[in-house]
Amino acid sequence: MPENSIETKQKLTKSELNLSVVMKSQQQTEEKNLNLKNPLITASGTCGNGKELADFYDINQLGAFTTKGITVEAQPGNKTPRIAETSAGIINSIGLENPGVESFIEEILPETKNYTLPILANISGYSEQDFINMAEKLEGRAELAGVEVNLSCPNIKGGGMVFGTDPEKVFEITKKVREIYSGYIIVKLTPNITDITKTALAAEEAGADAVAMINTLSAMKIDIERQQPLLANTFGGLSGPAVRPVAVKMVYQTYKKLEIPILGLGGVQSGSDVIEFMLAGATAVGIGTVNMIDPAAGPRIIEEIKEYMLRHQIKNLSSIIGAAH
Amino acid sequence: MFKIIANREVGPGIFQLVLNYDQLPQNPKPGQFFNIKVSQPGSDDPLLRRPFSIFDFDAAEKKVEFIYRVVGKGTKILSELEAETELDVLGPLGTPFSLNENKGNVHLIGGGMGIAPLYYLSKKLKSRNQKVYLGAANQAELEFFAEKFKGLGVELHLAAMEEKLEIKGSALVLWLNYLEKNIPDYVYTCGPEKMLAAVEKEALKNNIGGQLSVEKRMGCGIGVCLSCSCETKAEDESNKRACVEGPVFGLGEVVLSA
Repeated sequence: MPENSIETKQKLTKSELNLSVVMKSQQQTEEKNLNLKNPLITASGTCGNGKELADFYDINQLGAFTTKGITVEAQPGNKTPRIAETSAGIINSIGLENPGVESFIEEILPETKNYTLPILANISGYSEQDFINMAEKLEGRAELAGVEVNLSCPNIKGGGMVFGTDPEKVFEITKKVREIYSGYIIVKLTPNITDITKTALAAEEAGADAVAMINTLSAMKIDIERQQPLLANTFGGLSGPAVRPVAVKMVYQTYKKLEIPILGLGGVQSGSDVIEFMLAGATAVGIGTVNMIDPAAGPRIIEEIKEYMLRHQIKNLSSIIGAAH
Repeated sequence: MFKIIANREVGPGIFQLVLNYDQLPQNPKPGQFFNIKVSQPGSDDPLLRRPFSIFDFDAAEKKVEFIYRVVGKGTKILSELEAETELDVLGPLGTPFSLNENKGNVHLIGGGMGIAPLYYLSKKLKSRNQKVYLGAANQAELEFFAEKFKGLGVELHLAAMEEKLEIKGSALVLWLNYLEKNIPDYVYTCGPEKMLAAVEKEALKNNIGGQLSVEKRMGCGIGVCLSCSCETKAEDESNKRACVEGPVFGLGEVVLSA
């Protein structure tokens, strides 16, 4: 029997597993790709700016890090209560509390200099011009691998989600950002829409390198004792395990229609959930709400992915992307 | 891991939870809290942890104690857990009370479950010249706390809303009754936000320094989600997180709803 056939029959060991994925760029050159050592990317607004998680683990173990959403001007955020709990989910209406793009560049970005993983800045706006301003300010910042254009925040009046439900607006804003910003661009899409594939295709056509789906589902909770909405802002966005099946469906539905990679997210709690998103067609997978409950979730999920790979004898994790189709 | 040593009712719907721990990153200080996962492993309901301030702590015995009231699904589940149950607990978290050791005459004002963190504080304060003003709905809710504070040898005053103890009324009214003839050097307070706002107003009017501990609906407890942001009175209008910069703040530091 030839030697190599014996080798193929040997069981894979943990050290042989390759979890890396490549988020290809539309810009056609390899150096524009986003290379991740594993598919895990922190979801914006669930990990602060990284240092809060440092007590629990070294975030450099992750694929990439997304910062808390920023806007042109500083925002105080919504009134409290800003969070409500529901079965297997939370509804938040933080309202993009952030120090503004200038402070982000001066104070937050320098703090990321010890990170070896790619950093993505999440940007939100109240107008097309806001996105242009931020793209201009962030262009050329060596600390950043790219930006995540948030066209889907449900918690700002007249903001993100309004753009994110209109494929034409998604196209226009993405195109403007693309003309200015030369790094990697991910467009984050809202699920609060009839057909998410339309906004995904609009982002792709306008030059986005990838799309992220899904942002939170518009939701509310009523305090039946006070007989009033629980959130000060009345409405918020639902996240957590409750939304995962919706997100998986949208990734699955979009995968075949799109050339560019998908960052899938929504209620991921475990390695199994990451696998599910990848089978549906996600190249990378976001972890959000889980960080609020289990701050050390990142390394745990990576171990769980490895266990799945060993169980199924998968050497390259990227081989399962879209495999459920 | 943390293991339940005791979880018993010490008042109507009020429970004392005693946990034994293997190790802690640091010894907890008065005013800090622990974030406890009350759902069983594998369950997503409830999803979030529940923050509880420290009622008492014993490093030699490796024991940490909490007092909580059953108010919703999370505390209901917690109240049904039996001794020997292992719990997933994060902490200690948050900014503690500063103990201001040089202050002579100190007042502690606690309302309802806000009394809980004041006990460990009272124990740790260097000054034994402490006057403690506690209020709750009725005597049954106060009994456990009263016994514990008596054990510390501090001057104790009690009020209840539903029946006459020293007075029939709130901890705030009780404290105000004494304040006229007895201005303290420093105050510590925890309880309903309206009470905190009133204590703060009165203290600042009389040039008394002090600290208060706020209760805010939290998401993560570690500073990442910004659910528990508190408006501040700072000129730049910056917010502070109840879970990291708080839950203890100086008087006049954050905006309270009166």
